[in-house]
Amino acid sequence: MDGRCQHCDNDTHVWTIQDWRPLLTLSLMIVLGFSFTSLVVSSYNEKQRALAGQYYSAGMRAMENNRPNEAVDDFETALVYSRDNFQYRMKLTDALLASGSTSEAMAQLRAFWDQQPGDAQVNLKLARLEAQRQHVDDALRYYQNAIEGIWPERTDPIPQRFGVRFEVAGYLVDLGRKDQAEAVLLALAGVLPTASPEQGRLGALFLRNGDAEKALAAYQSNLSSESRNPAAMLGAAKASFALGSYVTALRYLEELKPETSESQTLREQIQRMETLDPFAREATVRIRTERTMAAFRIATERLARCGVPFAQALTGVATDSNAGSAKDAAQWSGFAKWAEQLAPMMNERKLRGRDEAIESTMRFAFQAEVAAQKNCGQLTLDDEALLLLARERMGAN
Amino acid sequence: MKPRSVRSRESLLKLMATPVRRKYFETLRRMLGPSGLISIREEQFFLVLAIAIGILAGFCVVLFRVAIATARLWLLGSSMHPSAPRVLLVPALMGILIAFLAVRYFPRVRGSGVNQTKGALYIYDGYISSETVVGKFVLSALAIGSGQSLGPEDPSLQIGAGLASALGRWLKLSKERLRLVAPVGAAAGVAAAFNAPITAVLFVIEEVIGRWSAGILGAVVLSAISSVVVERWFMGDEPLFRVPPYHLDHAGELLAYAVLGVVGGVASLVFVKIIKNLRPRLRRLPQWSQYLQPGVAGLMIGFIAIWYPQVMGAGYEWVDLAMHNRFPWEVLGIIAGLKLISTALSFATGTPGGLFAPVLFMGAMIGGSVAMLEQHLFPAIAVPVGAYALVGMGALFAGILRAPMTSVFMILEVSGNYSIILPVIICNTISYLISRGFQEVPLFDLLSRQDGLDLPSLEEEREQAILRVEDAMHPTMGRALFGDESIATARSIASGTSEENFLVSLGEGRWSVLSRSALLDPAQEENSPVRLLVRVRVPRLYQDQSLDVALRFIKDRPMLPVVHRGNMDLLIGVVSVDDILRAYRKAGLAEPETAEVS
Repeated sequence: MDGRCQHCDNDTHVWTIQDWRPLLTLSLMIVLGFSFTSLVVSSYNEKQRALAGQYYSAGMRAMENNRPNEAVDDFETALVYSRDNFQYRMKLTDALLASGSTSEAMAQLRAFWDQQPGDAQVNLKLARLEAQRQHVDDALRYYQNAIEGIWPERTDPIPQRFGVRFEVAGYLVDLGRKDQAEAVLLALAGVLPTASPEQGRLGALFLRNGDAEKALAAYQSNLSSESRNPAAMLGAAKASFALGSYVTALRYLEELKPETSESQTLREQIQRMETLDPFAREATVRIRTERTMAAFRIATERLARCGVPFAQALTGVATDSNAGSAKDAAQWSGFAKWAEQLAPMMNERKLRGRDEAIESTMRFAFQAEVAAQKNCGQLTLDDEALLLLARERMGAN
Repeated sequence: MKPRSVRSRESLLKLMATPVRRKYFETLRRMLGPSGLISIREEQFFLVLAIAIGILAGFCVVLFRVAIATARLWLLGSSMHPSAPRVLLVPALMGILIAFLAVRYFPRVRGSGVNQTKGALYIYDGYISSETVVGKFVLSALAIGSGQSLGPEDPSLQIGAGLASALGRWLKLSKERLRLVAPVGAAAGVAAAFNAPITAVLFVIEEVIGRWSAGILGAVVLSAISSVVVERWFMGDEPLFRVPPYHLDHAGELLAYAVLGVVGGVASLVFVKIIKNLRPRLRRLPQWSQYLQPGVAGLMIGFIAIWYPQVMGAGYEWVDLAMHNRFPWEVLGIIAGLKLISTALSFATGTPGGLFAPVLFMGAMIGGSVAMLEQHLFPAIAVPVGAYALVGMGALFAGILRAPMTSVFMILEVSGNYSIILPVIICNTISYLISRGFQEVPLFDLLSRQDGLDLPSLEEEREQAILRVEDAMHPTMGRALFGDESIATARSIASGTSEENFLVSLGEGRWSVLSRSALLDPAQEENSPVRLLVRVRVPRLYQDQSLDVALRFIKDRPMLPVVHRGNMDLLIGVVSVDDILRAYRKAGLAEPETAEVS
């Protein structure tokens, strides 16, 4: 007998180990059990990992081939075999989003967030989802968490954080929250290295947010490190153009190779502006007269399209059906009277050398274009050019 | 140079130079005993054994889980959506094989294993054969792996209990300990299967032991914890379910959870009624049909699984998806209904496997379905589907298995989410009350009775009237005698009553009983104190103690004093054997139930 229960008295059993064999055997059983279980479990885990990897790869392929529903099934199966795999879960949420299962993806992400509130990737995905659902405050909160959050090991968090800052800035610009966007962009400008190629992206966002000055500075920073960068060149041209520095804009555009349709449009616009500007330094007396007459014609045609009868009679242009209705009849009658007064002067002989008449005509043209822009109709390229000239000369918006 | 023996002695004395070391050596010497052997009390050894049982049961459960997963891979493939021929054929063919092995070689492995373990505890003195353990392991793994709608937790419980029983027999434990070792192993098994030690301890107490027993609690806790440590070592410490975050925003949401409690209660009732009616009918069929029944159940489950593969096996992976809004409410409702039918089929045909997992599965699906429906009907209410699925699991567990405490703690443990406790309690209580209101006998007790066994039930015990000393005691006629007062005074007091026995207060809570004849014995000097007449002391009782305690203490004593807990010399009343029997008769507990039956 290895061990026995001795009934020493009525109440107490004393179990005496007369020999160490049972305890040794029990210990040996535990050691052997541990070794055997370790062996089996490690082989099992290996098999599970292999299966998980197999389904994950299939899911990735399905995603690449734009089959998100299939990818969802594959990622879910991968997660059966590797339940705690963060990467798989993130891909599953991507697949769910791609397949339109937003609420499922949201539930997954919220479960993640509950476990790892500081995870930057989870916060970023949640921010995007909330942005989609137009929950602006939640989206901004998650974006901020993502900027301050923890990024996966073995990845450089700095570019990732820059990426999120750009994304949140873009989101705010799109929302039209200029002040908030400006604050984010300024913060980004403060931390982004001067020679970074991302300066161009920053410039574009500043420009979209209406800060052409900061945009130009950002584009110039970009060009200082990549002097022939076409995107930066075009951006700098657009920023200069927005600032009213047409000559600078044209200089950037001339340096831009190859030319794009956008740059071409911009160049044409600047050139058209130049061809309409009677005050240009190099313009001769004849050219000034011709440009003034052209401006008067463009402005009256614009008024005609807006339904001003005198302008219609003068130009033979009918009311544009898309022009909308003129809201302020008194204003239009004022312009009609003004045009009526100027019309007899619109020939080369009467205008030649008469700077006050040229100035008066151009003032009429500018004010008519500004009023028409506010009240009716679509712009032609000539109207745009006149408006730009108006802005340059009169500071009009 | 000094001789070797002297050198050893000197080094030993040097070692024992400090009081702490001397104390340590003294303890060691006492343990080794006169014969140089270790002698420890059996209950101390039992605790050590409980840890070993926990570790070994943990290994077994880990291997069991691996076996189930491997069987599933071999039989149904790795996809969550196996091909139609596979889902149709595999459960059916494996069902026939399992039935053959169960009927021919392992007759005790059929069913979940909870009742069998309880039976081992109360009928077979803790004996569970080793063949049963092996059979349960293999056949349950094959059944669950082939897609029968059953789970691994209850078989793990029986495997743990069987392992513990085998170890107890091998170590030649006393009969009393051998009987208790099975629940210790059962707790280890279920703890490792659920990765939830508290749930395991409570479940074993509520369902296996069937009564609160402080004597075994320590061993059960130790074994449960040891097995969970082993399980987490090998399988990781993630909770069974990943539950999306839950916050109770408004107390009104509890009403919405109450609805889930009602639905859960009704579903529980339906499930128990199906098992109650189907199981005996299938058992009454000819013997040869026993070989086919699990196969037919498998075929039917396979047919369902062509469209709804969720009904196969334990289905935890689907529960996770349901918690994360992967299915619309109609689908969740359909899956819950089909799982209920599948589980009833698998279980009623005697296929080895557990009920825990299917019950949780059904609860999750019903919870998710109710949540989505409420969201659909009342978009203004915040209805977190994951939380509802979790609470639904508790509701079904409370309603079907009728283990209310386990159901609450299980939800907290398997989810690791303690903020959900209020909805869980409300929902479980409603479900439990509905189930109990319309189904008198809990499921496991029902199964025992269908098998011809009458095992104790904690629910019945809870509902039994508890008789206390205060229900039997009567007030004293006169005052008690004091040990310090003279015999003459005592005799004068005695002369004023017709009592045959008198209680004597000896001070400091000590009491004795003195008979009239002893008091009036003329041989005693009248000036002597009464305590000289007293020969034996009697135990004192308190009015809140169980009457069973009084019965145990009273033996052949004529009466016992009932005293105040705050002043043990203050007599409140007296209890005699007649008083106790009268109280039992009054409560209708004096005659044994068997006498009524016969």
